[in-house]
Formats: sequence, C-alpha cells, structure tokens
Amino acid sequence: MAEIGEAQRELAEIYERLKAVLQERRGELAPYEERNALKALAALWQVANGLDLDPGQLYDSGA
Amino acid sequence: MKDTPYWNPRHETMPREELEALQVRKLRNLVEWAGTQVPFHAKRLSDAGVTADSIESLDDLQRIPFFTRDEWMGGQLEQPPYGPILAAPEEAAIRYHMTSGTTGRTPIRVLDSMKDWEWIAEMWCYGLWGFGVRPIDRVFIAFGYATFIGFWGLHYASEKMGCLTLPGGAMTTEQRVRTIEEMGATVVASTPTYALRMAQEARALGIDLASGPVERLILSGEPAGSIPATKKLIEEQWGAKAGDTAGMTELGTIMVFECEAQPGGTHIIEDHYIEEVVDPETGEPVGYGEQGERVVTSFGRGFIPVLRYRTRDLVVKVPGAGCACGRTFDIYDGGIRGRVDDMKLVRGTNVYPRAVEAIVREIPEIDEFQIRLYTAEGIRDEIEVLVEVPDEGADVDGILARLGKELAGAHESLRFGVRQAETGSLPRFELKAKRLVDERELIGGEGEKRG
Repeated sequence: MAEIGEAQRELAEIYERLKAVLQERRGELAPYEERNALKALAALWQVANGLDLDPGQLYDSGA
Repeated sequence: MKDTPYWNPRHETMPREELEALQVRKLRNLVEWAGTQVPFHAKRLSDAGVTADSIESLDDLQRIPFFTRDEWMGGQLEQPPYGPILAAPEEAAIRYHMTSGTTGRTPIRVLDSMKDWEWIAEMWCYGLWGFGVRPIDRVFIAFGYATFIGFWGLHYASEKMGCLTLPGGAMTTEQRVRTIEEMGATVVASTPTYALRMAQEARALGIDLASGPVERLILSGEPAGSIPATKKLIEEQWGAKAGDTAGMTELGTIMVFECEAQPGGTHIIEDHYIEEVVDPETGEPVGYGEQGERVVTSFGRGFIPVLRYRTRDLVVKVPGAGCACGRTFDIYDGGIRGRVDDMKLVRGTNVYPRAVEAIVREIPEIDEFQIRLYTAEGIRDEIEVLVEVPDEGADVDGILARLGKELAGAHESLRFGVRQAETGSLPRFELKAKRLVDERELIGGEGEKRG
C-alpha cells in the first residue's frame, strides 16, 4: 500500500483521539459536545477508511 | 486543497494489483463483521465453510453464497420490519429509507447510522467530483425528498463538497425551471426523463436553457443516462454535459459514475465495492466484454452488510485502463443495460408486474387487467393499469380511485393512470400470462430497447 503523508497521519491521529474521547470520557460531555463530536467522527471515519487504516465500525460509539 | 480530477486520488489511480489486495482485505473485514453481527449471514457463511481467515484472494469470493432480493424480502416478511439483516441495533440508526418491493405489500426497508450516511454521501462525492463538479458550483436537485433514497445522498455530497445546494422538492416543473434560472444553477441532478421534461417546460416558458449557466447534469434512476441517443438529446437541450450514475436502495447510494472523459460507460467505485459479472443462469463468472448479471458486495454500509447480492441488472464490464481519465477503476460499458427479471423502471421507481398484480387481485370486482407503459409527449415515461369490472352495479369510480391510491402507496408515490377497459377487451392467458405491455419509445426506456 502507498505510504501516507504527514498531513494525512495527523488526520488519522485526530480521528483516533476523537474516538477515544467518545469511548472513554463520554459522560463528561454536554449534549452539544457529544453530538458534534460524533458527527465529526463519522466524517473523519471516511478519511481513515480512504487511507486504508481499517477503521472498523463505529456503532458502539453511536456513529 | 490539491487540484486533482479525483475525489480520492490514492484509490482512483491505484494499480490493479494493489486495488485487488485492498478489496481482499476489506472482504475479510466484511465477512468477519457480518459473521459476528448478523446470525443470518453467520449461518450462510458457516454452511459454506467461509471464515474471514480463509479469504486469501478474490477467487474466495465465489465460495460465499449469493444473496437474492427474494431472500431479503422473505426475511422481512418473517421478521418485520427490517428482516434478519441488521448488524447494529435500530437505536444506532439516524435514517430510514425504502424502495418498492416485489410483493406489492412490503417495501425493502433500510436503516443507516451517522457513519453510514456520511459514507453514502462519500460515494456521491466520487461521482460529482469525478464529473467535474467543484465547491464553486450551484447544484439544483430536482427530487421529491421522501422515503425513496434517490438523490438524498447527492444532496449531502453537494453540501460536503461545499457547493451551494438548491433543494428542488415539493415544486412544480415550472417552479423548478424558474429556480434553476433565477438561482443560476450550474449543475442539475435529475432522472434522464425529468431532464427532458424540464427542458420542455423551459421551452414553453421561453427560457433558453442552452444559453444559461447550467454546465453539467447528473443523471440517475434510469438506464437512459447511458443511452447515447437520449444523452445527446439531453445535452443538446440543456447545452450542458450529462453524466450517468447508478445506485440502489439496497446499497444506499451509487456504485458507478461517469467521469469527465465520458468513456461511454460508468466507472465502478472499486475501493468500496466488488462488482462481479455472472451468467444469470449458471451464476458462473463471465469475462470482460461479455454481458452478464451484476453481483455486488459492498464494504461501506456496515448497518446492512451486503455480500454477493444478485442485482438482476445486466452489464458489460471492460477494463478502466481504456479511459482517458487515468482511473484504474473498471467500467460498465453502456452503463446498466437492462434487467434479467421483469422489473421496469418508471421515472426512477422500480415496478414489478407481480407487485402490481398482488394489489389488483385484492379487489375482487376486477376480473382482468393489463399494465401499460408508454411514452407521453415524446419524453416522459407513463404507466397505467387497465382493468375490467364486469359487474355493472359495481362502484367503478371508487374501485379505480382505491387502486390508484394503493398502487402509488406501494411505489414511492409514483403516479399510475388507472382506467376501466371494456369487459372482455383485454387479452386472456392460459399459460404464462403477459399482462405488461411496454410501448415506450427509446427515450427513458429500458436497456433492451436501445436502437
């Protein structure tokens, strides 16, 4: 598979961090924080998927 | 943003060997997901001896059993409303859509999560970007925005790309044409038939579309978008390029799109699907250049895993390397060419004669019937049902009204003409009945009617 660039790597890291926040600290999030973060996660999943990072599914996160 | 003709340059120009390796990996993940989340698929895979670990190449795909529309619908009847095919709990869904089914009573119902819905728009982005649509564009969508999935995904793709998105629901044709003109739309999305209808309306209103700002039409819902004569007519009347796409409610989005090079067919989005072409009788694969039935495996919609789904669409696959656009994605030459079964597409809606019959037969006063498809005003598909009501005391007007309402209700509000035929005038059949008469001209017709 083709290597990914630095900008792409940063996006992938943001995706993972966002996912982790939603999995581990959800109870601390206000509705507007949680729902907007989920929407962003669903969008960033497309990037992770397009970069062949095997992002799996997100249903357990609610996205 | 990079200046590139590709939505995902990494995948769209990927060497075939790498692309196939990617497909194998995604297939393995899909089998794992479906096998652990959906007991229905788990049993089918287990019965066939297929595990994720056992998939080593695309040849292994053929060990997975086919999945048919009848099985899908049968599952829904046994376990309403969605059948045994969901891989996630209903609470995870944010969208519900449906398409007309084969029984006349039960549509195919689908759910999507937030991530799936983003993916659905993502597939349309491949098509829009690939046909030259850019964030600067103003995209008018001539679509009803109801439960039929139609151009919903295109709408969200247009927003995602940053285009000014002009929703054209709940409007008359005149209002749509005037909005296109007044808002300076540069892209219009519609079925091929409706593109011609809008052009006709524009002429009646004294609006010269060909000298207006519309540069591109995104067509979907009917095979006519890849029929050269129809495409040429649309392009002439609009003074714009017309690009074909095709999708299915079962996938939630498009699986093919025409690129700016207009190679006479549609590229398969092969980083998100495996599209096989098989002999409709034997199920054996056919080679490049041979007509066969599309069988689709989709990696994107996790909520409803789709593994080797028999589409009944007839296609001819050719290598993508022949296209000047530089994509490595294979092409369906001539788009979707027709159907293996008796399904008809009428203004973008699937109509199965057996579904119509199921509805007609619930009205005991109707003795015989016939479904007639024809071309109105030289441009528009119409469907009507002729019925014989021999009982002179029957409330014919009430029967016709009820039938029209029930037919529309089972077909995404498609308008059916319903007329009484003289008793004894319709043909009778002793063996295989042929109650559907397709008198449509080339425009808007099925692939088998090409000149």
